[in-house]
Amino acid sequence: MRKVLLLKFGELFLKGRNRREFIKLLKTNILKKLREFEFVLEETQGRLVLKDYQETQEDILVEKLQTVFGLIGVARAVEIDAEKTVIEDYVKTLDFSAVKTFKVEVKRADKTFEMTSMEFEKHLGGVVLEENPSLRVDLYNPEQLLMVEIRVNKKCYVYTNLISCAGGLPLGSAGKGLLLLSGGIDSPVAGYMVAKRGLRFEAVHFHSYPYTSVQAKEKVIELAKEISVYCDEIKLHIVSFTEIQEQIHKNCDADYMITIMRRIMMRIAERLCLQNDLGAIITGESLGQVASQTMHSMNVTNSVVSLPVFRPLIAFDKEQIMDIAKKIQTYETSILPYEDCCTVFLPKNPVIKPTIKRAEYNEKFLDVDALVESAIANEEILIINNF
Amino acid sequence: MIFLDNAGTTKMFEECVEVHKLYSCEHFFNPSALSVESLNVSKLIADVEKYFLQRLGAKGGNILFTGCATESNNLAVKGSLRSGDWEYVFSAGEHPSVYNVAKKLELEGYKVKFVPLDSDGKVDLNVLKTTLNNKTRLISIMHVNNETGAINDLDAISKLKKELCPRAVFHCDGVQGFMKIPCELRKTEVDLYSFSAHKLHGPKGVAGLYVKDKNTLKELFQGGGQQYGLRSGTENVSGIMQFKIAVEKIDEKKNFERVTALKRLFNNNLNGIKVLDFKGSPYIESLIFEGVKGETILHSLNQAGVIVGLGSACSSKKAGNRILEGIGVSKDDIVSSVRVSFNAYQTEGEVLEAARIINEVYQDIKERVAK
Repeated sequence: MRKVLLLKFGELFLKGRNRREFIKLLKTNILKKLREFEFVLEETQGRLVLKDYQETQEDILVEKLQTVFGLIGVARAVEIDAEKTVIEDYVKTLDFSAVKTFKVEVKRADKTFEMTSMEFEKHLGGVVLEENPSLRVDLYNPEQLLMVEIRVNKKCYVYTNLISCAGGLPLGSAGKGLLLLSGGIDSPVAGYMVAKRGLRFEAVHFHSYPYTSVQAKEKVIELAKEISVYCDEIKLHIVSFTEIQEQIHKNCDADYMITIMRRIMMRIAERLCLQNDLGAIITGESLGQVASQTMHSMNVTNSVVSLPVFRPLIAFDKEQIMDIAKKIQTYETSILPYEDCCTVFLPKNPVIKPTIKRAEYNEKFLDVDALVESAIANEEILIINNF
Repeated sequence: MIFLDNAGTTKMFEECVEVHKLYSCEHFFNPSALSVESLNVSKLIADVEKYFLQRLGAKGGNILFTGCATESNNLAVKGSLRSGDWEYVFSAGEHPSVYNVAKKLELEGYKVKFVPLDSDGKVDLNVLKTTLNNKTRLISIMHVNNETGAINDLDAISKLKKELCPRAVFHCDGVQGFMKIPCELRKTEVDLYSFSAHKLHGPKGVAGLYVKDKNTLKELFQGGGQQYGLRSGTENVSGIMQFKIAVEKIDEKKNFERVTALKRLFNNNLNGIKVLDFKGSPYIESLIFEGVKGETILHSLNQAGVIVGLGSACSSKKAGNRILEGIGVSKDDIVSSVRVSFNAYQTEGEVLEAARIINEVYQDIKERVAK
């Protein structure tokens, strides 16, 4: 008998022939996440088992596993031989004194086991009742659930509680994109959401020093660190937007300031994608949140790029986004009051329904290619790893 | 780098480092312990107390040493609260370490009154006169405003206190006043006076509170009963000794004249930049950069090697500016303002160079943001 952590993965098994690859990726990510610890990671059909770790480190291991995408749950379990008498003996030792009702649930991956799941549930229930006569069975709302899993490795795992994990798909299973990271509440959440679907990403931040502060830039670095807990290493491209903003301010219509800014940001993002072999642009836009996030605005900004633009928050309310930000602990940093580059040169009345035609007309007064070129040439790159 | 944010903090005198070493590694004893060595240290602190009382021009009273001026101000205000139907009077221009305490007390149900500032940035004495009465328990009005340099007339306020609320406690936040402008507490009705070391080329982490009558003050926290039971906790011996050395080195009168001259030189060399002059302390002034945000100027100057401030560092993270707004400075001017503050140990060359850089940076930014 030994204590183990039983790891349950989610929809991976649905993925047919990709299944093997997904599990391999998941294991790689787990090993990377827990690189500072000593343990053994075993795979048995449908489960991963983490064993031979120091018991004092169990809490921190669980906490870290909860941030690994692809896992839906982790259980502090006991591993025993999958023999009827061994299981019976173990179940007899369990303490039910704190509860009045219970239920046994058996999962039998090993179909060669001598009883069916249903039969064994009933049988073990009887064993528990015999040891604890004041206890009652409640199949619908038990105070204590006793999970018994009989796996094909001829081992049995007994546990009472499945601790929920981040879910989703293993990081990297969906490729790699580029996140536009502003410093607000939304963009880190957008990054988290796509990472949850297996997409790794690099990030780009536009700053406008001296119109914005060094603190604004530090804040973005801090946010990148915070989401890196979930999203693994992030290559952060810090691009100065100062000259571009000055040029737009001087040469374009004030109400199109933000529209043109967003279009140039998208162009820079796409160029960075091509240079770094990234397949999609991710933004934290949410429909109608501000003038630049109306359908018309997004159409006008989208029209300058051909790569797909993922907007995972498009239909989220601000409250929902804030809830996730709080959960992944980026909220406190996001609300630090440093202006980002979107708030300098802010026109009083930004256009809500811009047109491609007028945007293109405005851009005639700029050397867009040269501005994009020079911004990228002067980028600063930071590698952030807090996984 | 030229540092023009001396109201925020100052460069420490190098002598303090030696003193720090002496009282941390050699005379490191706990002043409250019973050894002869400890007794000697406690005597030294008592001497410093006397010395500070003298520098404050106080007649009698005590000095409490605290961890920072924010603590001194909190102790002064909260330590003066009494049950009953009392009123607590604050100027609208107080530093956040007083103002936010007042706001909190208001929320907690205390009767708090704010007296507005006049167009010179001083507390409006006419309003103060109608505000004070025999229910007034505390008056908290700062000596020199940390954003404008405006100097409140302590004599006039003292007169009003004597006349209208003789039982009240008068607290004065003297952080920007002590050792910078003349201060003779004995000639005033000031009961509590806060001051801080790091604004006077001393170390961070030590400040003081003058207390005229220690029986009128209540402690903020309980402990070993050090400092008359009003500020428990082992005294920061090295900090206190460094504070003393710093103050000893300062010649207030000479410095005042020097800073006045430096400021004049600086202002005379500015080009097209508006100076907000409240005819107060020469140590502090505000500059208005029309058409440009103060923050942008601050960052650009930083890049060019000049450090200035943006109002109180404690409130620079918030939009707007309570003090300048209260005086009636226009919103555009507030957005375009930065605070410049000097020290007496800067050279004419530095100040001239700073003015040159400021002119240049302003010109450059103005062109860049022009339509």
